[in-house]
Parts: sequence; structure tokens; C-alpha cells
Amino acid sequence: MGEPEAFDISAVKGMKFFDPHVHMTSRTTDDYQAMADAGVVALIEPAFWLGQPRTGLDSFRDYYSSLIGWERFRSSQFGIKHYCTIGLNSREANNESLAEQVMEILPLFIYKEGVVGIGEIGFDDQTAAEEKYYRLQLQLAKEAGLPVQVHTPHRDKKKGTQRSMDIALEHGLDPYSIIIDHNNEETVKEVLDRGFWAAFTIYPFTKMGNERMVEIVKQYGPERIMVNSAADWGISDPLAVPKTAALMKMRGLSDQDIELVTYRNAITAFAQSGQIDEADFNAQKNVDLTEKFEGNTILRGGQQPRTDKSSIIIS
Amino acid sequence: MKRDDTMAIQKALLSIVKSNVSADSQNWLESIIESADQSNKISQAFVMVPRKTGKSIIQLNNDQKVLLEEAGISYISNWTIDRLCRVWLLNTLNSEDREKLYATVERLFLSAEMNEAVALYSALPFLAHPEIWVKRCAEGIRSNIGSVLEAIIENNPYPSENLDAAAWNQLVLKAFFTEKNIKLIVGLDKRANLELALTLIDYAKERWAAGRKVHPQLWRLVGKFINAEIFEHLKVGLQHYDQIEQRAIALAVSQSDYQPAKDYINTFPELKLARSAGNLNWDSF
Repeated sequence: MGEPEAFDISAVKGMKFFDPHVHMTSRTTDDYQAMADAGVVALIEPAFWLGQPRTGLDSFRDYYSSLIGWERFRSSQFGIKHYCTIGLNSREANNESLAEQVMEILPLFIYKEGVVGIGEIGFDDQTAAEEKYYRLQLQLAKEAGLPVQVHTPHRDKKKGTQRSMDIALEHGLDPYSIIIDHNNEETVKEVLDRGFWAAFTIYPFTKMGNERMVEIVKQYGPERIMVNSAADWGISDPLAVPKTAALMKMRGLSDQDIELVTYRNAITAFAQSGQIDEADFNAQKNVDLTEKFEGNTILRGGQQPRTDKSSIIIS
Repeated sequence: MKRDDTMAIQKALLSIVKSNVSADSQNWLESIIESADQSNKISQAFVMVPRKTGKSIIQLNNDQKVLLEEAGISYISNWTIDRLCRVWLLNTLNSEDREKLYATVERLFLSAEMNEAVALYSALPFLAHPEIWVKRCAEGIRSNIGSVLEAIIENNPYPSENLDAAAWNQLVLKAFFTEKNIKLIVGLDKRANLELALTLIDYAKERWAAGRKVHPQLWRLVGKFINAEIFEHLKVGLQHYDQIEQRAIALAVSQSDYQPAKDYINTFPELKLARSAGNLNWDSF
């Protein structure tokens, strides 16, 4: 291997991106700014665990509330439209007494505006409790007519992925409404063959690298494939989607294919919730511009002024 | 909100809801408010509203504009239809049982997403028993979500009519800190008070110390209370030679009875001129 190439943002200038899996509550405003600058216009934040287990129901309630409240606002400050999926994650499904209580409050949140699916749910250790709450939440998704964002396990991934799909079909869900996440070379074929959406997480060291991602799109084509960053509190990269697009461009994929896997497919899949309107992405941008145009220095709705990060002066 | 206004408000809201939603949505809304299990149905419908109505800005005909004016709520004319529908739904909640009304609305607050929170705070002046929402309103002022704060601070008559002095002063301070549109605060002049004036002067001094500008509308809340001590601070402001700030201070002084300050202003030819030409009013800042 020679010198690693620098990410040249101009390679994807003018393109827009949709990151359908990113945990912004764990990220800084610098990340939001960088994402906006790189062309990310909208994102989905799946409900997940916080790196350590919660011990009470109110922690779940406040977390769900923050996904549809404070985080949504934080994102809007940078002109990025924020959606989320709501669900009980697989790890915490193992605390059954708490899981029961969480299931009771989920209906309060899944019908909220901008909630585009049930997620991320599925298997971690593949225990009986995980299966129980995965099934219950699939049922909930079916009743609510919402897409499902399925987390597949790190360990024993291939079997875990197959089992997740089997159970979803058993519950009578349409594979076209289900996004199987964190795929790799070993799982992608079956996921696509069975009619599900295949999401790929570009995440250093533990999940997909984006060079491998380029090869997958070359091999399988762009249909029903989407790329996300799953950036969270671990070492991860919130620019994974635009970076992967840039790499795809350098390696000769067509603009149309790149657009499908880094923008359009995610919208098509999650818009089945009825909660995504692309006009909203543009509206968020326009608000900012008009107000500057009219010479109003007050950034309405909380749009944030830029700070110059390269300057030693903070004013 | 006065009782005699209530009918006019209901009439205006209903008319606008009807002309801004589809026939299907209208039927859906009617079935909700006529349901026997009214508070539960309205709570569920409250969440569902944007799915049924969309989120466009409401369209008004001339009759409706008149209705709004008569009801004293012209400020709702730039609302989106989902916001209006949500407020209207809350307005139809049965208000006989005070405890139940409180519990129903409070539950909605506890799981509110951003736009729901905006609608809930916008609804405060439309709810019965204004005294029971005071704490909730004060809590809302602690929000850092821009649109939620705007719903409370701008074009909302509830705070000035109901908040105690401490909460009201927080609202005004927060409005300056978060750069809200001060001119849209309802009851701003009426609720001016000495304590607020002194706090705002401290705030102005902090701004000056940091080399930042002071919002001219701040002086509007100081004018009535100018005394020897406040006058000293105003002099500092006038010495900054920022024309907008100077003019705002001059206008504030013209609304006070403190003669030394008036005399002092007259030593600035530009300010004297602007004042006598009648060029100064709070709308111009």
C-alpha cells in the first residue's frame, strides 16, 4: 500500500447525501457542520443503546423524546433534516422486566412525525429474550405500517442475519419494508435474493471498509443497496457516506449508481413510512438563504452562524 | 382570554380548519371531537394531525381575516395547518373537569416531539383555566429549542397575561439572549418593571464589556424607570457613539420624567434633531 489518499471533498461537490443510520446524540456540532458541508441533507438516527445499559424506564422515555425533540432541533441548526427510528435494541431486550415496560411506551412514540420506522431492532447474542422482543416489535411495525431497520449481530453474523429474515417473513412482513443493516460480503447475496434492502455500515476496523463497498456495488449493482456511517460514540466517521461516494466516483462508478446507494435508495425504503418529504430538505436550506438575503442577521429557527475553526481567535 | 372572546375564537378557528383540510380529514376531525371518549381520542389525533392535514401555511379568505381580527388572533395567519388543527383540537377539549383537562394536556407535553411542543405552547392562550398552565409555560421558557421558544415568546398573549414577575422577566431576558424578535412579544411595554430594567442594564454592561452590541429594544424597557443611578449607565452607552444604540437610548429617555437625562440628550445635536423630527419610535429598531 502506498500513501493513503486524502479525502477531496470537491470530488462530490454538488451531490447530496442521505445517511440512513447515524447516532447524532453522540456527536459534536463540528460533525454536523462537516456533514452539512460535505452534502449530507438528511439523516436517520435509529434508537439504540448508549454504550451501557439503562436501568429505568424514564431513561428510555427521555432518550426517545430527545430523538424527536432536542436532537431534531440540533440537526436543523445545520440545515440537516433529522428523522429517527424508534425501538428497543437487542442488547437491552435482555433485561426482560424493563423491556416489558419499554414495549408499553413504544406506541407513544412510533406515530410521531418524522419517525420513519421501528429500529434498530434484532439480534445481538441471539437469546430467547432478544427473539421475543424482536417478534413483538415486528408485529408493532406491521400494525403501524412502518418499515423496520434490523441490526444484525457482530458475532455469528451470517446465521443471525438469516434468522432475522426468516422471522420477519414468518410474521408476514413484506421484505421490501425491511432494511437489513450491517451487511458484509457473506450476507449480501441472500439478503438481496430474498427481496430485502441491504444496508452497509462503513465503520473502521469492525464493519465494512469503503473499498470493499465499491467492489460490492460493482458486483451486485445499486438496486436495494444503501450505505450508512452508523457513527456513534465509538471510533467512527460521520462522513462515511460522502467519502464512500467520492471513492466510488474515483473508481469509476456512474453518478447514477452512486446517487442510488448514497441517497435515493434510503429515501425510497424509509419513505414507505409516509414520513419523508424531500421538499423538506430543500426548505431547510432555503430558510437559511432567504434570511441572509434579506440582510437579517438573526438566524431564525436557531440556524447557527459559522465559526472559523482555523482561527486562534474565538469571539 | 376573555369569555366573550371564546365564541369568536372558536368560530374563527373552525372556519379556517374547514377551508384548509380535505373533506376526508374534515370528517376524521369531526368524528374525533364528537367521540364519547373525547380526551383520549383527541390525544391520539393530536399526534396524527400532520399525516391527515399536511403542513402547508394556512390560506385565508377576506371574511376569515376579519374573523381573526375580531377574535384578536390575527397573529395565527402565518401558522401551518397542522399547528392550527392541533390548537383547535385542544381548544375543543372539554374544560368542565379541570383536573382531567390538565392531565390530558400535560401527558401530551411529556412525550411531545418538536412540532407538537410548538403547537402545545401555542395553544396555551386557547385553553380554559389559564391559571393551571403557569408552571408549564415557565418550564417552556427553559427550552433551548428555537421554534419552541418562539412559540412561547412571539405572538403569544398567554405569558404576559398569566406569568408572575420572575417568570415574565426570564422570558424577556431569554428573548434577548436567544435573539428572538422582541417586537413580537405581546404585552412587552405593559409588563415593564424596575427589576427587569435593572437586570437588562446589567446585561447591557456585560455586552459592552465583551465588545458586543446591545439590542436597541432593550432600552424600551428601561425608559420608565430612569433615575440617577440608571442615568449614569445610559451615559456610558451614549458615549459608545453607536448611532442605533444612541437613538434607542434617546427614545427611552424621552419616555421618562427624569429631567437631567432629558437635558443631557439635548447636548447631542443629532439626537435632539432626530427626536424633534419625530423620527424615533420603537418600531424603527
